[in-house]
Amino acid sequence: MNTHPMKLVTIICEAHAREPVKKLLREAGAHGYTLFQVEGEGSRGERTAEIQEFANIQIETIVQPDVAAALMEKLERDFFPRFGMIAFESDVRVLRPKKF
Amino acid sequence: MLDALHANLVSPAVLFFVLGLVAAIAKSDLKFPEPLYAGLTIYLLTAIGFKGGVAISQAGLGAVWLPGLAAMVLGALTPLWTYPVLKTVGRLPAVDAAAIAAHYGSVSAVTFIAATNYLTAINQPYENYASAFLAVMESPAILVGVVLGKMAMNRSGNFPEASLKTAMHEALFGRSIVLLVGALVVGGLCGERGMSKVEPFFVTPFQGVLALFLLEMGIVAGRRLGDLRKVGPFLLAFGIIVPVINGALGVWLGKLTALELGGATLMGVLSASASYIAAPAAIRVSLPDANPTLSLTSALAITFPFNITVGIPLYLAMARWMYA
Repeated sequence: MNTHPMKLVTIICEAHAREPVKKLLREAGAHGYTLFQVEGEGSRGERTAEIQEFANIQIETIVQPDVAAALMEKLERDFFPRFGMIAFESDVRVLRPKKF
Repeated sequence: MLDALHANLVSPAVLFFVLGLVAAIAKSDLKFPEPLYAGLTIYLLTAIGFKGGVAISQAGLGAVWLPGLAAMVLGALTPLWTYPVLKTVGRLPAVDAAAIAAHYGSVSAVTFIAATNYLTAINQPYENYASAFLAVMESPAILVGVVLGKMAMNRSGNFPEASLKTAMHEALFGRSIVLLVGALVVGGLCGERGMSKVEPFFVTPFQGVLALFLLEMGIVAGRRLGDLRKVGPFLLAFGIIVPVINGALGVWLGKLTALELGGATLMGVLSASASYIAAPAAIRVSLPDANPTLSLTSALAITFPFNITVGIPLYLAMARWMYA
């Protein structure tokens, strides 16, 4: 099987950041994403997911390494100071690299 | 006044609210699943909107437009006086002052619904079309608050993803506005004949659904009580004094625009209430530099419980005094 190296960027943030993050993903050149509602606890306290607006969301996107670098840089500069948020990247291998 | 307060405090809705507060303080594992919360919200907004629409079809737009316009203007103007107070007396950063001002100019649908429930319980008649005031008061203050915040932020850097346009979209097409305005229109088109078809679903179970919803809101507000330490004495006082002032203004404006005593009370309740769903959603994306703990804690953990328990009978007492 012929797999190709790619970056998986995972963002976990307050639900209110949903639209700005989606806009950022589009502009940075991500071709898609997966989003789900999650709950958890962190430096800004516990977020129980019983009201959509007060919940956390997790957004995952698989992108080219250069896109991932640009994404992480913008997240650090513009988003981390403003939103409850963590983000990390990991190495993954995909089929059909053109899809990403 | 004491009788009115007592009648409110022993109603099922308020007692369930207190139960929710107690459950949250005791760190009980009681919680509602998100879809149930969303479902109850949809039910309450649709029912109140539909009822309001039917009432408009009976009273005619001629009776509604003047108090409706007054309500809208009152909501839009509220941030203009609270913003300088927050900035100068509270010594808050401009962007936080603008965010909090927006929350207090906008309204809480649940507070309004609890107030209609209370008036019904004590046999105080009110204009059913008052839900139209709820619909028009939610957005204007949010937009005014965002503009105030933007004006202050231009001097201290900006966030590219935040624009007035996103705030407008959130404020005008958020799910509560769409549901409420939509149900008002549907109710207005259906009239009394439509009401008779949906009454067993939208009217009869209403009080029970509200009680259940307030239980959940008690839990949600109770979880925020811990944040009270973070907001300081100024916002604690602000969260109680400002609703009382706004409540008096609302009742007075209701009287001025020829509402009955019950309708003026509701106008007071709307003016006194602070938004904790629609406003945070719009403010978070358009003024992300504002600290959400400040606005959300004062609206949800101070003003909302105050209005639900003491505020509503207080605004009724004000109305009785002004109409005497």
